[in-house]
Amino acid sequence: MKLRPRVALAAIVTTAALVLTGCSAGGSDGSTNTGKTATGGTLTIGTLVDVKSFDPAQSHIGHYLQFDQPVYDSLLRRKPDGTLIPMLAKKWSYNADKTVLTLNLRDDVTFTDGTKLDADAVKVNLDRFRTGNGPDASTLAQIESVDAKDATTVVITLKAPDPALLDYLGNADGFIASPKAIDGGKIDTAPVGSGPYTLDASATVAGSTYTFVKNPKYWDPSLQVYDKIVLKPILDTTAMLNALLSGQVNAALLTAKTEAQAKSGGFTEYRYPTDWQGLLIFDRDGKMVPALANVKVRQAINYAIDKKTLLKQVGQGLGTVTNQVFGPTTAAYDKSLDNSYPYDPAKAKKLLAEAGYSDGFSVSMPTVSGFFDPALTAGIGQNLADVGITVNWVNVAGADFISGMVQGKFAMSWFSLFQGSPWVAANQIITPNATYNPFHTTDPKVESMVDTIQKGSEADQAKAAKQLNDYVTAQAWFAPFYRPDQIFFTDKNTTTTPQAQQAIPSIYSYAPKK
Amino acid sequence: MFSFIVRRIVSGVVALFVVSSLTFFLLYFSATSVARNILGESATQAQVHQKEIELGLDQPLVGRYLHWLGGVLHGDFGVSWFTSRSVVGSIFDRLPVTLSLVLVTIAIVAIVATLVGVAAAVRRGWIDRLLQIVSIAGSAIPQFVIAIIVVTIFAIKLHWLPATGYVPLGGNPGGWAVSLVLPVVALAISAVASTAQQVRSATINVLSKDYVRTLRSRGLAPREILFRHVLRGAAPAGMTVLSLQFIVMLGGVVVIEQIFALPGMGFLALQSTIQGDMPVLMGVVVYIVLIVVIVNLLVDLAVGWLNPKARVS
Repeated sequence: MKLRPRVALAAIVTTAALVLTGCSAGGSDGSTNTGKTATGGTLTIGTLVDVKSFDPAQSHIGHYLQFDQPVYDSLLRRKPDGTLIPMLAKKWSYNADKTVLTLNLRDDVTFTDGTKLDADAVKVNLDRFRTGNGPDASTLAQIESVDAKDATTVVITLKAPDPALLDYLGNADGFIASPKAIDGGKIDTAPVGSGPYTLDASATVAGSTYTFVKNPKYWDPSLQVYDKIVLKPILDTTAMLNALLSGQVNAALLTAKTEAQAKSGGFTEYRYPTDWQGLLIFDRDGKMVPALANVKVRQAINYAIDKKTLLKQVGQGLGTVTNQVFGPTTAAYDKSLDNSYPYDPAKAKKLLAEAGYSDGFSVSMPTVSGFFDPALTAGIGQNLADVGITVNWVNVAGADFISGMVQGKFAMSWFSLFQGSPWVAANQIITPNATYNPFHTTDPKVESMVDTIQKGSEADQAKAAKQLNDYVTAQAWFAPFYRPDQIFFTDKNTTTTPQAQQAIPSIYSYAPKK
Repeated sequence: MFSFIVRRIVSGVVALFVVSSLTFFLLYFSATSVARNILGESATQAQVHQKEIELGLDQPLVGRYLHWLGGVLHGDFGVSWFTSRSVVGSIFDRLPVTLSLVLVTIAIVAIVATLVGVAAAVRRGWIDRLLQIVSIAGSAIPQFVIAIIVVTIFAIKLHWLPATGYVPLGGNPGGWAVSLVLPVVALAISAVASTAQQVRSATINVLSKDYVRTLRSRGLAPREILFRHVLRGAAPAGMTVLSLQFIVMLGGVVVIEQIFALPGMGFLALQSTIQGDMPVLMGVVVYIVLIVVIVNLLVDLAVGWLNPKARVS
């Protein structure tokens, strides 16, 4: 049958035009290895975040390190157990009062654009980091100045001792980029460092696949276990599970809810704590909720929460119940404090009565739809209601949750917080100006202990950290529930070692399984 | 026809202006603490305040709006508050992913729904009954359930297709097609079901018209009547449904992009909404509205071309 041209065109109007448009809508980037499992030379990791910028001044701890570690060397390197070892800095030493840090750099390192690493390059990077607007810029707030004494010597002068500084220099703060590339203005998308790998732009698709290939002139080939490293941002946890199960990635961070499927699929599981979850009792001076000024009330809150049941219902039982905010990898940790406040609603009621609150009281706490597990808010609300404390849940936007807390809009809140070193934790939740101390509560004992942690000898620091942990636990400044496990999996061809105080292993810690 | 096109273009421009302006003002009133979110939890209040000034958040609403509008009229959508990347660059990275997904799906839906719908209308009987059942099932099962089922079978069990990810068309058309199979299937099933129903109804409606009876009485072959006259009469209804499907898909593709880890516009919109990245979100809104306006214009033109009465209305 012969069709008239107009009729023939009409028949394809709904299809051909759209198809043709679709065919011309492709990107210009090169091919990727979607669907391919690693074959010895390639390590593919699923990442729960997408890189925001490759500019080292914008580097951030945790998940984002995976994108920087292949391309940038850091000044120091953290071994999986947290021990600091040399990387770009061969040696480092403090003066007597720990206010001047001297770093001696390697003299055989060249950036991949041919520029030589020297003290000036380190100065440029550290100054950019601390004066820029990156998410971790404030971690270098104690630095007074950075000086290049000679080509391989950097002198960092501090306003006051900072016990976490060396750790920071082995973390996001210590990545060093080529100063020439920084001047070029494209460092955020085209990273140039001296690291074991370089970003292969032709095999990279923004938001989907970042391919790193071996740096042929790298100074430490022992860190180039794979020929190629591919990072695939997969922000949905179910998609991450599917990518692991189908062999698209060799390694992935999963969640308590997706753990069982990966485990039954024969993948290797790694479980380790990095965070604690529970209640931050901000208003310890009772400015907003007078009852919270009474230590017995705060202790009652600790006794009222059925932590084991919450861990089982919310975290599938994958974690450890605790009553302390300091983690097991820190000097402050005391195992006995994990059971300071066993679930005991009768004791909670008794303490409330002793404090003059036998009729209970009300408190408002924020919640975020989609972020707070309904089982969590239901459990907390029910446990506290059982002892007479009424929780009014205030629904806030996800983007306003943290700012609401740090601006002192709530007397208490549930949260999940990273367990860093005692000094980091103190500045996060304990000192008068700590981020999560919006009411600036303090007492002389705490200030004295924190002072020792900052300025004391290593032994004194450890002792003071333990005392501080003991004190804030007894004073019930917080009501921790548990340390949820990070749940990481590798496939049968891959092995890794978790990194202390980090959600994911460092790039250097992967190897093919023998 | 010329005044018809002009009217449609003018109404499209007005829609673009109204939607983007409304979005801007709505975002202002639901403003989040974006400066704090950019700088991180440990930033001081002074740093946060400084950042707010840097972003112009201390300026009055109208001033900010005019500044944004002035930039857009010059093709400058600004840079992301979170990544400092150009908004247009970010959108052009993501647009091919979403357009590939939606346009391939629409093309497949158009072909399959037309074949099935016309067959059901002409043959009736078991094909028609089967279409009714499949349509109800297809419309009832959510896309994400279909997505999970096809991933489990074809990616995890059989290892035939990738579970996640996107391969750009340029340089690797095969990889591009393979990366789209499962997401397109997940998107297409319910769309085929509902579109085929509409095509069937429209075809039956045209088949019952007097002029079709006249054509039959004049002895024209059934195939000739169908392809020359009936399909032409039924096409506008089919195209209207497809254009609606296209718009619904552009909005709803975010779920599929998330399940298949596709770096598309839906995901960009979701992320920028959660973060409060206003320049990116506004850029996404403008581009999406622009695409919808263009598609509607093309469909209106096609319908007007097929049916001169539509040009008058």
